[in-house]
Amino acid sequence: MNWLVAIPLLPAAAFAVLWPLSRRARNRLQWLPLAAMSGSLALSMAAGVAVVRAAAVESSRGAVVYHAAVEVARIAGRPLRMGLRLDAVSAVMLMVVTVVGVAVQVYSLGYMHRDDRKGWYFAVLSLFSAAMLALVLADSFLLLYMTWEVMGLCSYLLIGFWHELEAPRLAAIKAFLTTRVGDVAFAIGLAVMWATKGSFDFAVVLADGAAWPTGAAWPAGAATAVALLFLVGAMGKSAQVPLHVWLPDAMAGPTPASALIHAATMVAAGVYLVARSMPIFHAAAPVALGAVLAVGLVTLLVGGALAVVQHDIKKVLAYSTISQLGYMFVALGAGSEVAALFHLTTHAFFKSLLFLGAGVIIHATHTQDIREMGGLHKALPWTTAAFTAGALALAGVFPFSGFWSKDEILGTLWRGGQYLPFAIALFGAAITAFYVARLWFRVFGWNQACSLARESHAEMIAPMVVLALITLGIGFASPWFATLLGEEARLPDPGLAAASTAVALAGLAAGWYVYGRSEARGTEPLRRRWNRAYEALGNKLYFDLTFGELLITPYIALTGRLSRFDTSVIDGAVDGMGAGWRRLADSGARFDIAVIDGAVNGAGRLVKAAGARLRRIQTGRVQTYQRLSIAALIVLVLWIFLRGV
Amino acid sequence: MLLTVIVFLPLAGLVAIALLPRDSRGAKWLAASVMGVDLALVAWVAAHFDVARGMQFAIDVPWVSQAHIRYHMAVDGISLTMLGLSALLGLLAVIASWKQEDRPKAYFAMLLLLQVGMNGVFVALDFVLFYVFWELVLVPMFFLIGLWGGPKREYAAIKFFLYTLLGSVFMLVGILALYLHPAGGTFDMLALAKAGASGALPFGFQWWVFLAFFLGFAVKVPVWPLHTWLPDAHVEAPTAASVLLAGVLLKMGAYGFIRVSLPMLPDAARAWAPFIGVLAVISIVYGAAVAFAQTDLKKLVAYSSVSHMGFVMLGIAAGTVEGLDGAVAVMFSHGIVTGMLFLLVGMVYERTHTRAIADLSGLVVAAPLTGGLLAFASFASLGLPGLSGFVGEFLSLLGGWRSALLPKWITIGAASGVLLAAAYMLWMVLRVVLGKPSAATEGMSDASPRELAVLAPLIALTFAVGLYWDSILRFVDPAVKAISVVVTGAA
Repeated sequence: MNWLVAIPLLPAAAFAVLWPLSRRARNRLQWLPLAAMSGSLALSMAAGVAVVRAAAVESSRGAVVYHAAVEVARIAGRPLRMGLRLDAVSAVMLMVVTVVGVAVQVYSLGYMHRDDRKGWYFAVLSLFSAAMLALVLADSFLLLYMTWEVMGLCSYLLIGFWHELEAPRLAAIKAFLTTRVGDVAFAIGLAVMWATKGSFDFAVVLADGAAWPTGAAWPAGAATAVALLFLVGAMGKSAQVPLHVWLPDAMAGPTPASALIHAATMVAAGVYLVARSMPIFHAAAPVALGAVLAVGLVTLLVGGALAVVQHDIKKVLAYSTISQLGYMFVALGAGSEVAALFHLTTHAFFKSLLFLGAGVIIHATHTQDIREMGGLHKALPWTTAAFTAGALALAGVFPFSGFWSKDEILGTLWRGGQYLPFAIALFGAAITAFYVARLWFRVFGWNQACSLARESHAEMIAPMVVLALITLGIGFASPWFATLLGEEARLPDPGLAAASTAVALAGLAAGWYVYGRSEARGTEPLRRRWNRAYEALGNKLYFDLTFGELLITPYIALTGRLSRFDTSVIDGAVDGMGAGWRRLADSGARFDIAVIDGAVNGAGRLVKAAGARLRRIQTGRVQTYQRLSIAALIVLVLWIFLRGV
Repeated sequence: MLLTVIVFLPLAGLVAIALLPRDSRGAKWLAASVMGVDLALVAWVAAHFDVARGMQFAIDVPWVSQAHIRYHMAVDGISLTMLGLSALLGLLAVIASWKQEDRPKAYFAMLLLLQVGMNGVFVALDFVLFYVFWELVLVPMFFLIGLWGGPKREYAAIKFFLYTLLGSVFMLVGILALYLHPAGGTFDMLALAKAGASGALPFGFQWWVFLAFFLGFAVKVPVWPLHTWLPDAHVEAPTAASVLLAGVLLKMGAYGFIRVSLPMLPDAARAWAPFIGVLAVISIVYGAAVAFAQTDLKKLVAYSSVSHMGFVMLGIAAGTVEGLDGAVAVMFSHGIVTGMLFLLVGMVYERTHTRAIADLSGLVVAAPLTGGLLAFASFASLGLPGLSGFVGEFLSLLGGWRSALLPKWITIGAASGVLLAAAYMLWMVLRVVLGKPSAATEGMSDASPRELAVLAPLIALTFAVGLYWDSILRFVDPAVKAISVVVTGAA
């Protein structure tokens, strides 16, 4: 065991302490998860330093810096180990999770200030952090899957945090079940992996060739199956079309939880899974990576288009997250984990920043509807500045982080000769800039300020400032990032950068043209112009409706029918057999009583009746006996005489 | 000798209770101490158990020598796991019944008698002894349901009794067939397993005997479509009886498959595997679907048992080490998790006098501990990793996929049970645990210290098994490996 274990264990311990406590004691200890998370942050930084040092020496990608494992079981005598390992990818993920985690926790101290169940909120946040940190350090797909599911639980608990309202309750179950659709595929993928390789350890299943049992590399068939099944799992967690439907609803949870779980970290776990499994995707048939690319492209368009028509500030951001995750899948599909992980990193910071800003805005205006906002830049100067940094990063404007990472993805597609995906991704970037502009002008544009809005406390502002600074600066680390992960450093291609910047600016300009001018206030120009398309988008492209009609309603009806079938047919058969046997027994009993017992009783009754009659002659009087004797004598004599004749 | 004490100590307790004065309050104390000692003895056995060896703590003496019937008991890792489950749940059932006011002497006597049968089944290695314990279990359970049960208790008790008795008649036929066959010729279960492994029993014979045992065991598990006695029995049974019924009695059926059908009739087991696999996947999916539609909380848990036991049957049908490991792990985990669920449902019913899901709402607001633990047990039941339910179901799926005996679609179908279980459990949690309190739950009292004390060991075990799989697999894995080798021909 080494200090690496403490990174996920600290927040896990904080949860374990808080869980059994009473509500009041939990609330008093609300700082404990933050303390634990800060410890994890410090250790993660140490881990980052260790990785950077190692990379400088070996400059070999994926070098494992630390590794510790325990044996949790022996299956058929074969050890099943679970452990933590640290390499460059893990170190990057650690920094993302701990930095955003600490920022969100500090922010939450202010945001959840008045909630009387805030202790539970922080406890669950802590358990989530523990699971996510263990996931990025996991040394096997089994531990990855287990922590993946625990994150699902935390997501469920936080979405449904205000469960006395109906919408969060329903959103929570929807999120858990939709992601579990993916998890079923993930689990089957693990079964295939076990049957093929006899292990879940990265060291075994991701190594080329040298593996149990035959020392053979992945057979293409099994690799394709595992890759596609893992992809479905990743699609559930990372909200890829068509399994994206849970994420917008998940916005019913507290906003800082959305920032951490449903923007920065958990939803990126699917990307992380595919990035980790990349050797398997490479061993698989080309269809596997092609599927990743296709899923990403569809998702980035669908998410972007749906973000354009939302009126709820958090849902705009949620669909934007779906779309940006689509970009990461596109990068993976193009075979570049580095581009995907870099976009994951920049997105985690700027999107959590946007969510935290949205939280301040919601607190200040008491609404989530952007049509009721406007002119907030006067009342919320800090928030406006921070939010704007996040918005420009999302739109892909130089020098904000999103520009660098999106450019990396576009460059990967271009260099790979995938021009159609490139064109789609570029078009998606225009849509992104357009809805960013719409959002910004709706919230901050115009001069009519919400007079009641006031800037929040320092504990909510400070995290946003930190995230904004990261968003501003991290892009310049782009070449270093590639080196760290073992690819050659590359600066953005000037022509490509110019093209993507032009597209982003065009999108922003179009957004300003449609929404930024004062006459656009309170109207929805797109609806007037493209009514049918707008309606389709307004209905979320009918995904929810279709699932409801084709899957959920029929399933509920089926369960009712099966339940009745169980009572009437299966149990009916049992009861019928019972009743039949009983009828048989009854008729047997009737026969028994009437005929067999009747015969016995009849004989008895006969004797008894005869006895009753005969008893009358036993009077005890001598005269009667004498008369009977004489009568008998007469009968006897007569009988003898008559026979004699 | 120790096993004899473990099995028959509750019988001594029963005699002692019978000697108590009529209105004595001492019955529960006596029962609890006997069960406590029993559990401590089982723990001692576990601590001194050598996982590298097979059957241990054996006692093997002639009983009815004319018929070659012996008094033969021993434990291997599988028996020991089940024995531990039985002893633990037995003790908890007594403590959970602490407020039993209605004929307490007879009630606790019945719990003790039940314990004799349950413990005995898992250690008996002579078929006659096994059969005696097997049938002995029916009697106290019949009375527990029939005398202390709900409104339809008599119907449920008789249905339970006759249904399982009918099954065990077929099992008796199987036992006699093995005894009368020249290659069998004994009631000794280890000798029969050896005969089965050596291939001395012809396939056709095995096939029919397997069918007979199948009918006996499948009713008990229960396997679809032989399951309908279960919901009725659970709904009418008192809480403690439900805990033991789901926690231990169902496992007797699965244990029978693992102890009898697979090792003694391996050729037939291979032939029957796809059929059992199909029934397993039907049980999983059908049980989950029907559970979803239930309006009675206890019935929902009962149907969830049908679904979970489907995973046990999947592992058994697979015959692989992973599958059998998974089967035993599900058996253990289902025992503790469903035990928790029934205890919690009982606590809710005691306070609100209803089990109708529609009447219950906002439990976690009205009674945070009860509601929170019900949610916890639900997550354990739906197989959340880190808790015990995941271990077995996951291993079952691994085993099912790797098994050469089962087509792949069976495992894929079974995997969908992971989703369906989440659906019915969370849909229940949404309606019962979450939301605003209803008229029934408003102002209800929360769990008492005694109730928490009953739940605490189950919660602890749920974590222990879920986080450190070897806590039970170290006992189970070597034992199932020996059986798997016979069935699949390879480890």
